[in-house]
Amino acid sequence: MAEKQKFKWHSWATPYILIFPTLIGLFVFRLIPIVSSFVLSFSNWNLIKDPVFNGLENYKELFSDPDFWVILGNTLKITVGYVVGGMVFGLLLALLVNNKIRGMNFFRAAIYMPVITSSVAVGIVWLRILGPKYGILDYLLKMVGITAPYWLQDPKIALWTVTFVQVWKMSGYYMILFLAGLQSISTDVIEASVVDGASPRQRLFRVIIPMLSPTTFFVFTVAIMDAFKNFELIYAMTKGGPQNATNTLVYSVYVNAFSYFRVGYAETIAWVLMAVVGSLTLVNFYVKKYWAQPLE
Amino acid sequence: MKKLLTIALVALIAVSAFAQGASEASKGQVTLEWWTWDATMADTNNAIIAAYEATHPNVKINNTIIPTDGGAYATQLAIMAQQKNLPDVFTISSGNLEDWAEIGYLRNLDELIAKDKTIFDQFYKGMFDAVKDVAKTDYYCAIPFAYVSCDLFYNKDMFDAAGIAYPNENWTWDDFVKAAKALTIDKNGDGEIDQWGYYGYGRYAEAQAWVIANNGTLINDKMRFEPDKNALEALHFFTDLVLKDKVAPMPKDMTAMKYNNIFPNGLCAMFVDGGWQVNDFRSKIGDKFRWGVTRIPNGPSAKETWTFGWPDSYVLSPTTAHPDEAWDFVKFAAGGGLSADQVMGGKLSAYKAIVESPEFIDMTQQPYGDMELFREHANDKFMTTYTKSWSEWTGYGAAENMGFAGAVDSILNGEDSFDGAMKKATDGINKILSRVYP
Repeated sequence: MAEKQKFKWHSWATPYILIFPTLIGLFVFRLIPIVSSFVLSFSNWNLIKDPVFNGLENYKELFSDPDFWVILGNTLKITVGYVVGGMVFGLLLALLVNNKIRGMNFFRAAIYMPVITSSVAVGIVWLRILGPKYGILDYLLKMVGITAPYWLQDPKIALWTVTFVQVWKMSGYYMILFLAGLQSISTDVIEASVVDGASPRQRLFRVIIPMLSPTTFFVFTVAIMDAFKNFELIYAMTKGGPQNATNTLVYSVYVNAFSYFRVGYAETIAWVLMAVVGSLTLVNFYVKKYWAQPLE
Repeated sequence: MKKLLTIALVALIAVSAFAQGASEASKGQVTLEWWTWDATMADTNNAIIAAYEATHPNVKINNTIIPTDGGAYATQLAIMAQQKNLPDVFTISSGNLEDWAEIGYLRNLDELIAKDKTIFDQFYKGMFDAVKDVAKTDYYCAIPFAYVSCDLFYNKDMFDAAGIAYPNENWTWDDFVKAAKALTIDKNGDGEIDQWGYYGYGRYAEAQAWVIANNGTLINDKMRFEPDKNALEALHFFTDLVLKDKVAPMPKDMTAMKYNNIFPNGLCAMFVDGGWQVNDFRSKIGDKFRWGVTRIPNGPSAKETWTFGWPDSYVLSPTTAHPDEAWDFVKFAAGGGLSADQVMGGKLSAYKAIVESPEFIDMTQQPYGDMELFREHANDKFMTTYTKSWSEWTGYGAAENMGFAGAVDSILNGEDSFDGAMKKATDGINKILSRVYP
């Protein structure tokens, strides 16, 4: 009886009322824009005129544009470089800082610092470091007799340079994720492997890395999604150049929508990007069962 | 009781709001929304508003400033246009005039101008006509408040040290190259140039300025990209400065600093860009060195002097409920309510009294008497390259490494031949132009 009185305000509608604000947000800021964006991808819209439905024209134009295939290639290359680089460096850093020595928190914070620093600021600083002739790195290399390449101006190198800077910026984030994974591995297992005579190398590859596989799967998924969101650094460092060498799908969405005001076409690129990311994530989830299982 | 109290309160608020509205209406109170893009002009805008409201107590002005960074201003304005809720008065870039006029988002000012007998005594008619040309309308649709031109900035100390006379409007392009060669110096003998005679890259305000100086056109009458003989001659001249004459660095060598820091840092003796750099250079250079500004020399095929320039303008919303008040205010904001020191250095006011006032030539700071050039521009023949989708084909803002600018840079950086880059540019640009001019 006392229980009934305590919850007398509760009715069948209460949970719906409580989730209503969240649902409103979800619909207004997520689902409606997603659906609108899909519809607009079949239109010609320059923001100032009303959108005009043009069927599959945008998709036809996109797939017949040779630049699109270059941009798609760039996006996939940057993704591979970023995911591999981010995971390898993130894990190495996590292994390094997974020690209980004095001052370790300082190093953890220092490594994490670029993650929370504005991407545009990071891009501008790296632009000054990597700039030819008047850049700091060029100056230092010249002192030891090395002529630096055009890090951001050579179409063959620029994409990898941008990828490197992105990896440098974000490795601290993956380090934190891996660190959490490392600290959740039972010390009993590690000690047992020591007692069994496993070398440090065997311990790493036969015990630690396999036991980290759920974390690795999570980092892998997050890194793929992060890789496709690489916009600010490109904007600050190369603006998609030289000669489209660092232009990616997400940068192309921005340029088409907010520089060229081809909003319908930009939505088309966005949906192609969505298809690529979605496919990779699906594949990732499918293969998860084969490798992302902790050892019994 | 609670319910009654709530109803009474709501009713009170509603009645007050109605009374307020009625009171404003009875007083003829008018509120004008005024949108601009330059945050550095916030104080000036506030001064304009204070001065205007003091003499027009029935008008209230709300100024909204949205920076142009990342296309924010143009995007928000476009959204307002879509919602048929444009501000009464707003700034518009020349690059948008044609598109906006075509849709009918710019109020036809002919009637207001016809009623205003003194308008062209106060403002330069030529500038109003130039806006009409850019918008491709047969009616006045904008009131220019600042004309920007592209000019040649030069480092006087470097010229003096080399014993060369300063550039002037009678210079030929040969004179320019000769001086640039003498000003290109390896100061410490390490085989690397420390001071360049000139710096320029594919940016519109630089490469296209040389085309205009040679009376060249990039877009033909059928609205297709087809650089004429003069334009090609100018582009060959411009790219030869790097590739053949070696008086300017490859743009890719200078990317460690922003393009408009190269001249202030004393790395080049001459630099072409928009007049708005006057303000920037004043703060960046200070007293580090003496500098001046003059016209870009006319090219060998130029029959007359063309100035590469365009207006920043105010326009009136076609749906404003207060066109007379908006017109009166816009004239005030575009010139009538400004003093010479409130006009950004290097930008040319369309208001005659400002340009002709002694204060327009600010003799207290650089470039001192060279500011006379901007006064002379008031009577120039201005040319632009603006078309629909101009940003896209020219390579502007976030796309500055693409389009025409990207093609010129690929030549200057030795990544592509002149003919190869021009062929690619022609194909790409005509694809864009054929979309907007079928």
